This record gives sequence, structure tokens and C-alpha cells, in this order.
Amino acid sequence: MDRQQEFVLRTIEERDVRFVRLWFTDVVGSLKSVALAPAEVEGAFEEGLGFDGSSIEGLARVFESDMLAQPDPSTFQILPWRGDKEQTSRMFCDILTPDGQPSTADPRGVLKKTLATAADMGFTCYTHPEIEFYLLESDELGPDGQPVPVDQAGYFDHVPGGVAQDFRRTAVAMLESVGISVEFSHHEAGPGQNEIDLRYADALQTADNIMTFRTIIKEVALTQGSYATFMPKPFSEHPGSGMHTHFSLFEGDTNAFFEAGAEFQLSRTARQFIAGILRHAPEFTAVTNQFVNSYKRLWGGGEAPSYLSWGHNNRSALVRVPLYKPNKGQSARIEYRGIDSASNPYLAYSVLLGAGLKGIQEEYELPQGAEDDVWSLTAAERRAMGHDPLPASLHDATRAMEESELVAEILGEQVFENFLRNKRAEWHDYRIQVTPYELRRNLGIL
Amino acid sequence: MLFRALGSSANPDLALQSCVRLLAVHPEAASLITGDADRCTSLFRLLGASEALGEFLMRHPEHLDVVRPAAANSPPVDEKALRAFLLKSVEADPDDDNPVAGLTGTEAHRRLRTAYRRHLTDLAVRDLSAASPLDYLPTVGRELADLAAAALEASLAVARREAEATFHPDDVAAVRLAVIAMGKCGAGELNYISDVDVIYVLDAPGLDEAQATRIGTFLASGISRGVYSPGIEPALWEVDANLRPEGRDGPLVRTLESHLSYYARWAQMWEFQALLKARAVAGDPGLGHRYEEGVAPLVWASSQREGFVEAVRAMRRRVTENIPRSEEARQLKLGPGGLRDVEFTVQLLQLVHGRVDTTLRVRDTVGAIRALSVGGYIGRSDARDFDDAYRYLRVLEHRLQLTRMRRTHLMPLDDDEAALRALARASEGALVSARPSAQGLLDRWQRTKRLVRRLHDSIFYRPLLNTAANLSAEDVKLTPEAAQARLAALGYSDPKGAMRHIEALTGGIRRRAALQRQLLPILLAWFAEGVDPDAGLLGFRRLSESLGESHWYLGMLRDSTAAAERLCVVLSSSRFITDLLEVSPESTKWLGADAELVPDSFDAQWQEIQSKMSRHPEPLEAMRLIRLIRRRELLRIAIADSAGLLTQPEVGRALADADRAAVLGALHVAEKAVYGAEVRVTDVVVMAMGRQGGRDITYGSDADVVYVHRPHPGADGAAAQKQAEKVVAQLAALLTQPCKPPIFAERVLEIDAALRPEGKQGPMVRSLDSFREYYKRWSLIWEAQALLRARPLAGDDALARGFLALIDPIRYPAELSDIDLREIRRIKARVESERLPRGADPSRHLKLGRGALSDVEWLIQLLQLRHAHALPSLRTPSTLEALDAVSAAGLLPPADVATLRRSWCLATRIRAANVIWTGRSSDLLPSSRRDLEAVARWCGYGPERGAQLEEDYLKLTRRSRTVFERHFYGY
Repeated sequence: MDRQQEFVLRTIEERDVRFVRLWFTDVVGSLKSVALAPAEVEGAFEEGLGFDGSSIEGLARVFESDMLAQPDPSTFQILPWRGDKEQTSRMFCDILTPDGQPSTADPRGVLKKTLATAADMGFTCYTHPEIEFYLLESDELGPDGQPVPVDQAGYFDHVPGGVAQDFRRTAVAMLESVGISVEFSHHEAGPGQNEIDLRYADALQTADNIMTFRTIIKEVALTQGSYATFMPKPFSEHPGSGMHTHFSLFEGDTNAFFEAGAEFQLSRTARQFIAGILRHAPEFTAVTNQFVNSYKRLWGGGEAPSYLSWGHNNRSALVRVPLYKPNKGQSARIEYRGIDSASNPYLAYSVLLGAGLKGIQEEYELPQGAEDDVWSLTAAERRAMGHDPLPASLHDATRAMEESELVAEILGEQVFENFLRNKRAEWHDYRIQVTPYELRRNLGIL
Repeated sequence: MLFRALGSSANPDLALQSCVRLLAVHPEAASLITGDADRCTSLFRLLGASEALGEFLMRHPEHLDVVRPAAANSPPVDEKALRAFLLKSVEADPDDDNPVAGLTGTEAHRRLRTAYRRHLTDLAVRDLSAASPLDYLPTVGRELADLAAAALEASLAVARREAEATFHPDDVAAVRLAVIAMGKCGAGELNYISDVDVIYVLDAPGLDEAQATRIGTFLASGISRGVYSPGIEPALWEVDANLRPEGRDGPLVRTLESHLSYYARWAQMWEFQALLKARAVAGDPGLGHRYEEGVAPLVWASSQREGFVEAVRAMRRRVTENIPRSEEARQLKLGPGGLRDVEFTVQLLQLVHGRVDTTLRVRDTVGAIRALSVGGYIGRSDARDFDDAYRYLRVLEHRLQLTRMRRTHLMPLDDDEAALRALARASEGALVSARPSAQGLLDRWQRTKRLVRRLHDSIFYRPLLNTAANLSAEDVKLTPEAAQARLAALGYSDPKGAMRHIEALTGGIRRRAALQRQLLPILLAWFAEGVDPDAGLLGFRRLSESLGESHWYLGMLRDSTAAAERLCVVLSSSRFITDLLEVSPESTKWLGADAELVPDSFDAQWQEIQSKMSRHPEPLEAMRLIRLIRRRELLRIAIADSAGLLTQPEVGRALADADRAAVLGALHVAEKAVYGAEVRVTDVVVMAMGRQGGRDITYGSDADVVYVHRPHPGADGAAAQKQAEKVVAQLAALLTQPCKPPIFAERVLEIDAALRPEGKQGPMVRSLDSFREYYKRWSLIWEAQALLRARPLAGDDALARGFLALIDPIRYPAELSDIDLREIRRIKARVESERLPRGADPSRHLKLGRGALSDVEWLIQLLQLRHAHALPSLRTPSTLEALDAVSAAGLLPPADVATLRRSWCLATRIRAANVIWTGRSSDLLPSSRRDLEAVARWCGYGPERGAQLEEDYLKLTRRSRTVFERHFYGY
């Protein structure tokens, strides 16, 4: 740790870095940034940087507005899109109370706490996200009131001379240059929709990477005259943008999800982990799918998983156990397909891991896996087979979360309360809107 | 001769057994026994005290020559000789600053270790022959450290030779490595067997950095191999390099610059404490010397660093806690009164005062105690006792370890009589001929531990007093600056002010000052453990000044430790009690007597009030006395509460009784005044409402009341009404108006009659008939609800019964209509948003907040309205009793009842704690960390658990809100 701080200070000097940005997130996952002059960095390491937390959503109560941001030197990176002149760098911060205690309202702190719980049980958590997003002409709507995608291609389509191709190449290069390894990138099913998969890393680093990723993608799009959006469902008729994430737990250097010879090579631990996620998914959906718009994705068809189910390589299931080569025990993992690209990664990963760990602690039994395509079953069949639906709206999800002891435990009372307050307000604002749909459908006939 | 020699050995059985084994393998050793008598004695002393060294001699009879007669106080062997001896064993040149051995590998290790053990045996013989092991202890510790240093040096010489096989010899020669010993080896006070803590410093001018690091690392690991790898001659001890910068994760060797920049920038408090002992013991002497010079300024400036006080407190807790329970009773090293405790105390004082006074910059504990004493930082006799205790514990440790050369800090088990007796004998001087008993040993050890614990406070605080009191006779005196530095390090945030208070408390020649000089050290330590040490000391000074020379006060402080400690805790964590004690210092007496801390019953108080009223007919004077009684009882309850003698519900009941006695007194005084001037035409009764009715109050609660009167038969209604109004107006005035002379620090009992029919628009008092009329015509459901907690407080008993008979059918209705049910839900919903103060965080409001008091109470009251008609057990004004009845009747699931109860009790307790801590009422869960800390302690949490209280409260109330919503609103 200390050597890392030293390294940061040295790099700042050697590379002639002019600005150091301190990054942290509010409760809904928006990135917040404070710029520091290099001379102030050492002080920020030692004592943290004071700021007024009351103006940050969900961070502090009004009466204790003084907060400290303490940079985590292991996250130091030069930001490539700022060019070589006036080098700019960034570090993620932990939020502390004025007396130097970790703030219970800091989402990054919540994930750290969850990972500490996992560590107490002997586990390290690795995650790897597949992030989908749309590339649009701009953030303005077109003449038909719809966003305008940059192309009309489909899944895995190669678009000669396409904007998206260039875009992905530049973006991937830039991601690599800040140390985020990219596994895979391709055109997705919707027009202008792209997917970039990050290599697996430990859960905290992945969450930091996702925050960086979103920034880089938006910056690169801007430089190319387009606009990137992580909105869960920008088009009614095209698939939404999910953030399927693969999870694995390691005990030392062995993969705790792998057991040779078991069904799908799934260990008992893995089965309990999945059971935990499935049992608690309705309670934490408000976190993994946090916007009104998220539910348009969950319930708008197009491969989005909306029922509690798991399956071996079943793309209609909420939790998928991917196929992997039998001799590759280390790559055993499970994929949660419910999260969308606009979630707060710190909190989303916290609740998922927390629910999975709960399943391990309490030794939950995993229900029967789904072999069929869950979407093509009738409602009655699904019910009979125990595939309950996820919450249908932000409102339902919020209500389910309100009742959840587990989510309160994972998030801590303060983040729990702040988050719910924010979501209730969002639902309230949404409900008073008269939508184009109503006008189109009702105005002419009523 | 054999018997005499056996008699001088600590464990004759062991000595004889080892002797027989020795003779079996080396018959020629017989000459030792039959030859020189003194030599024979030396042999048996050694064999009786150390099985391990006996075995060494069996392995190496060629070294039997070290067993020779030793003087009662043999001179030490100096470090140069030791270095030369061990270097020669591996064929290295002692005159070289960076010697290279002639031997390598296991052969070198074997020779090195054998030479080490030969000298160790030699030292043990001298140690065991010492007339006074306590006096000889520093010599032994020093020589053991020098011997270990010599072993490191010789091992390094071997590693240098070995490195030449892997690296270019010129490169190896270019690498300078300094071995810095930390801990006991650095301090020159090593044990017979112990890890040796080291740090490596690298310097290789002209050599590529990476190559230098590789060679340096090779040499450092080579040192460890030389003394610790398995071999024919067993390993000596572990070389532990984990105290290096960044611990295990850091590189094994670093350059001097890298060390210094790490310490300047990143090091933690404990690392500086460790560096206090750093000493270059082997390797390149010039480089080692530069390291010592480089770190010294950092060590001595460390007490000025941010967070020093907190770090000291945390370290202190680590020193005295964290002992496995099974070992607690046998630990020599850890725990209160153990060796670590002594060392910590000494090092802390060195760090605090060594910044200014360079004479304190010594490494070893014995030397440091001496320096602190000479410099006047600890009292001379304290220093003597502390030094003795330390040496005694160390001698026990040495003797225990010597037996099997194991790293142990545990005394033998209580029932291991033989081991205890052997230890007792071994720790006495060689000239003592009596055989000490096992019990004697245990007694002395326990006495020593107690002494160390007791000396602590005296050592920290006694010299402060001498400075303050300006005594000429006593020995030590700190400079004012040193005194303030010490107070600040111990947690006083205003050391100047604290010094002034200490001066005031200890100045002069009166008996009080003399006694306080004696007691203050420990009192200051107790204050320092509280939330606000400065306030504690100030409060104590005031108290002391007002109590003057009171005989009992000084006696209590002197004789009752429990009372004195209670006083310190209260003064440093309760503004409420401190304020009250200041105006009624005689109540301090209660702290020493639990019998005085049982709240007076209502009857007893009423009796006292009656007798006051009869002796003081003047109304204002009588009322003043009544209010003084109430103030006294509040203080008594608060102190009992602080001493853990009352539960929160008991506190509530006791406070309500005190209020009731005062109201009853006031009513009598008022009636006497009114009826004295005109003919009495009516009777008045005061009914308690709200939490006062339920006796659920905390310190400083109002009294919610309703007044009822009944005109005498034949009296004029209007005149009776007028007279009743006069009485109640007088009553309220008597309770609240300022007295002459004033009553200081009184928490005036505010009377609130807002719950009367028609609220503020209605008349203050109504006749029973008027109530009847009113309820017949207007009865509203919220009024029925309010009546649930009505309880007669003062006045005519028959009238009170009449009133209860009137309201019972209203508050316990046969059936609650749907309209009423809806209305009560609506009112609650509205109250929730309206009554909360603007901007208050609902999750932190203790009364009206989410899941807090009012939620629980409304739910209970709703159940009472619905079911109390059928279930008489529900007819109680007390919330907790009603909750019990609800639970017994199965009206709510047991888990829900438990949630409601816990949340209600915690909220009530926090409200009480707010008053106790700040002296002011507050209905909010505090948000400043310090307030939270204080409140958490009053709620039964340990130190530094404020954040836990916050989390617990938020969690509990969230759950109780869910329960409330489910059962109250039905969703």
C-alpha cells in the first residue's frame, strides 16, 4: 500500500501530471470527480480531501456534511484521452467521516465490506462483466421522437467502414492503455448496439473498471462525433443493454465452484451460491435494475431474463451456468443475466455476492434447473415449475427491497435508506408523467 | 560433596538425571564430580537449571571445560571478544569490517552454532552463580544480545563466502549490508531464547540496483540460514525481519534512503515505538551508524504526529487485552502487570519526553527507567519499585526459558509443585541456602504484578502533581512543558487548563491537598478513560472546592476505590450529574453507598414533604423545600442509573414518583393558600396523562396533566369553578416560578395541560359533570386514546375514582367502530408528517421518527382501544406493561412484540442518555461522533462503539416501523 502511494507520487512527478482527479460514486452510481493539483496529493493520501457531502446524492445527511475523500493509490491511472500535454490522471477514493472512519454511506465501502465478509469465509470473488450499450448519432432525439442509432446492423455483423468498428477499435485501445483488459467486443443485436466484455478481475477492481469504462466509452464517442448511452432500454422495439456478469469464488488458488464429476461440474458451494441469488433476487432487483427504464428492459422481451430460474447454458435463465471445457476447472463460474448497464456496480455486486454468500452460509437447496426455454412456457407452467417473476416495475422492486433484511444488512442501514428514498422519489416523478404512448393511444378516441 | 552440590541445584532430580546421562556417554566427566568442589557445584547448578544445556554438553563433551567455578558477580565478556570468537569459528578474520568466512554450508553452520552454545553455557554458569540474579540481569541481557549479534555477524561472513559461488566476488565485495537489531536484541536486553528481530540496510555504490538487491537479499537470507536452518547442531533461533517497512510485503533489503523516506512518510505509530530499540549490531559498521543517526530524529519527533494519542490508546488496549483465556493466569509477558505492560509504559514516557530531553534516548528498559528517574520524569521510589518488578519478572522469564531453551512466557501450572519449586530456587541468589516454597514464589509473582498495575497511574501522573503543587521536599518535578506534553499524550485536550486544575487541587498544605496529591494519579487515569477527561477534572475541582474539608468526603475518596472510580466516570461523561453534584456536593456521599442509591419511595417522599410543610407554613418557603427534594431525587436516580443499579423502566418509574410527590406537595400548598382566604367549595384532582401517566418518562420530561374538580354539594357551580381555577393556576405557578433564594441546576417540572377537552380553547379545569356532558356530546376518538394513559396524580381519592369510572367506558369501548379506526389511522398519518420538526431526519427522531416511540405507543394504544374492554389485563397506562399484556394475550406475534419492545426501550434509553451526557433534552439520535460515543456508553456499549449504536438503532427502528405499519395500518 505504502509503496503504491510512493509510486503514485513519483509517477506524478516523472510524467509531469498536471491534474489528479479523485473519483467516487454517489448512491445511484454517477461518477463524481474532484480535480487536485499534484502538490495536494500527498496531503490527500495522509488526511483525505475534505468536501461537502450533503450535495452528493445519498452520501451524507445534511447535518454532517463534512466528508473526506481518501484516494486509493492502487487505482492510479493516467487518463489517455486527455492527450500528452497537460497529463491528467485519476484515482478512486474511499469516503471517510471527519474522524477518519469509513463512511457507511460510501458505495465503494459497501462493496469492500461485502468482500471482507467473503474473505472471512475464505473466499476471493472474481467477476467479469459483458457490458452492452448503444451508439447514437447524438443525445438529441430524431424527428420521430426516437434516438437515432449510428447504424442498422445486427448481432456480430461486420459493418464495412462502420462508425462502430472504428469506435470499438479506439475504445478497446484506450481501455487497454488504462489497464483494463478487454476480452471480446462485437456488434450486438440492436442497431448501433455494441458489447464489450472485460477480462475477469477481483470484484472491487471490476467495479472500478466499470466506472472507468463508462467514462472512456462516452469520451471516445464524443471524439468521434457520436454519443454512447448505457440506458437500459432506449428503444421499445430493440433489445435493451444488459450487463451480464460472471461470478466465481476462489479459495486460495482453487475455484470453489468447480467439482469434477458433479452435475455440470458444479460444486455444492456453487449450487448454494446460485440458490442464494435466486431466493433473494426479487429483493435486490431494485439495486441491479435501478431505474424506471430498467423494467422496460426486463419485461420488454429480447432475451432479457425476467423469471427466477437457472440452467446449464440456458440463455433464457436468470442464472446461467456456462459451458466450459472439462479440463478447465479454474474457469468454472456462473453468469447473472439480470443486471443492466446503468446499475451502480459497487452496490449491484455487493447484493449479488451477499445473496450468494447467504446461500452458502445457510446451505440453501438449489431448486431444479430449467431445461426449457423459460419464455416459451405458459404462465401456468412457469408457476407450476416455480419460476416466479422478477418485480414488474421499479415500484414493485422498491417495495420488495423495503422488506429485505438481507439487503439492509449488506448495504448498511444508511445506504439502504438513502437508496430507497432516491428510488421512491424517482417512481413518484415517473408516475406523474403523461407519456407519448397514452397520447397516441387515447387522445384520438377519448 | 555431591550432596552439597546437589543442594545448590534448582532441580536436584533433573540435575542427577542429567549427570547420570552425561556419565553414561562420557565416563571421563566423572573427574568433574570428584575433583574441585566449586566446579562440581557449578556443574550441578547448570544441570539442575537447564536440561537443554546439559544435553549440549552430552553432545559436545569437548566443551565441558566451560563448567568452572564462577564468582558471585563475574565480570561480563565484552562484545569484541564475542565477535572475534564466533568469527574465528567459521574461519573469518575478526579485524575485517566486512569479514568473509573460510567455511560454507552445513559445516560452517555447525561450527558457528556450537561456538554460540559453548559461550551460552559459559554465560549460564556465571548467571546461575550470581549472588543476586536481579543485579546480574542487565549483564546477562546485554551479553546475550552481544552473543546473538556475533552469531549474526559470523553467519553473514559465511553468507558472503557462499554468495561468491553465485555472484561475481567483486560484486559481492561491493555490497555493504548492515544488520539492525530491533526489539530486545537491539535494546541489549535479550532473553536466553527469543526471535531476533532485524532490519537490513543495503548500500552498494557503483553497482547496478537490481544486482545489488539480489546480492543483498541473498546475504540476508544467508544470515537466517546460518542460524536457523535445520542441521546436525540444531538451529539457534529465528531471525525475524517482519518489522521492516511494509512488513512481510516489503522487500527484505532496502537502501538507507528508502528506509528513511518510508519512515518519514508512511510509518505508523507502533513502528516508531519499535525503532526506539533499533541498533546496528552486525554488518557494515559505517552504514549501520548512518542508519541509527538517520532514524533517531524521526523516532523522537513521533509524539508530535497527528493521531499519537489515539494510537497510544489503541496500543495500550492491545498490550493489556488479547490474551488467550486459558493462559491469562499464567502469563508473564502479556496482560495487565506483565512485562509488556512495563515496557510499554517506559517507552511511552520516553517518546513523550525524549523529544526535548536527550538523556532519555536509551534503548534498554532498565537504563530507561534509570534515566526517567534521574531526569525527574518518574518518582524515585516509583522508579525503584518499577525497576525491581521488571527485573524480577525478567529473571523468572530467563529461568523458565533456560530449562528447555523454549520460548515460553507461561508460569508452570499451579499444581506442578516440582517445577514451581525449581523456579523459585533458580530465581534466588546462589548464596541463599534456604529452599523457597512454591507458594512463596506464586505470592511474590502476584504481588509484583499488582505492584506494576498500581505503579502505572502513579508513574504517569505523580510527577505532574509535583510540578503543579510545587513541592520542595519531594523528589521529582517536571517542567511545565513536559507536564503538558504528558497530559496531551494521555488524552487531555486542554493540557494547560488541566495543569491549572491540578495545581489548584494539590496546592497548599491542608489535609485535602495532601490527600488529593496522593489520590490524583489514579483519578487522572480514570478521567482519561472517560469521553471528556477535561470536563471530568474540572468537575472534580469544583466539587472538591465546595466540599472543602468535609471529613466524609476525604474519607470516601481515600477508603472507597469503587466510589472514587464511580465519581470519575460520572464526572467525565455526564454534564447532567456534574451540574447537580456541583450544587449539592453532599450527594457525592451516595457514590460510596449503594443503600443510599435506592430511590426514595413515593410514600417516603410524601412523608418528608408533609413534615416540611408542617414546619414551614409560609407557602413559598414550603414549595422551595418541596422542589429541592425533587431535585435531590433526580440526582439520586441519575447516579443510581450511572452505577447500573436501575434499569431504564425503573428509572422512569422513580422519576415519575418524584414528580408526583412534587405535584402533590404543590397541590396541598396551593389549596392551603386558596382555602385559607375563602370558604372551600370544591375538590380538585390532578390526572397524569401521556408518558407521565404511563410512568415512562426520562430526565427532564414535562408533566402532561388534566385537572378535574367536583363542587361540594349545594355549592354554587360558578364559584366552585372559579375556585378550582385559582387552585390549579397556583399549583402550576408554585412548581415553575423562580424561588428565593434560587434553586440552581433545577430541572423545572413544566406542567402541560394541552390534552384537556377542547385543547387550548377549553377551560383549564372542568367539573366532573362538565366532563360527563362533554364526553356524551363530543367524545372524539383521539381523546379516548389520550385517556388510555390517564392516572391519578394528586388530589381527592374519591373524585379520582369517580373520574376513572367516568372515562373507563370511553377509553375501553366495547367496540371500536370502523369509522373510529379509520380516523385514528388518519390522525396518526397526519401527525407523522406535521409534528416532526422541519428538516429533522425521520430515521433519527427518537419520539416521532420512523419506528420510534410514538409508532410503538400508537400501535399499543390501538390494541388497547380494541381489546381492553374484553381483556382487563390491557388496562394499564404503562407502555411496557401493556406490551406484556398484548404478548400474553397473543394479540401480536411474539417476534413482533420483541421488536417493538427493543426499539421502544432503546429510543427511551437514548433520550435519557442525551440528557445525562449533555444536560439538555434532545429527541434526536446524535450525529457527532463524540456525542454518539458518549451516548453509546450510557446505553451499555464499550468504548469506540458509537457507530455500532447508530447502526443498531437504525436497524431496530426500521424493523419496528415495519411491524407498526403491518398491524396499525394493516398493510
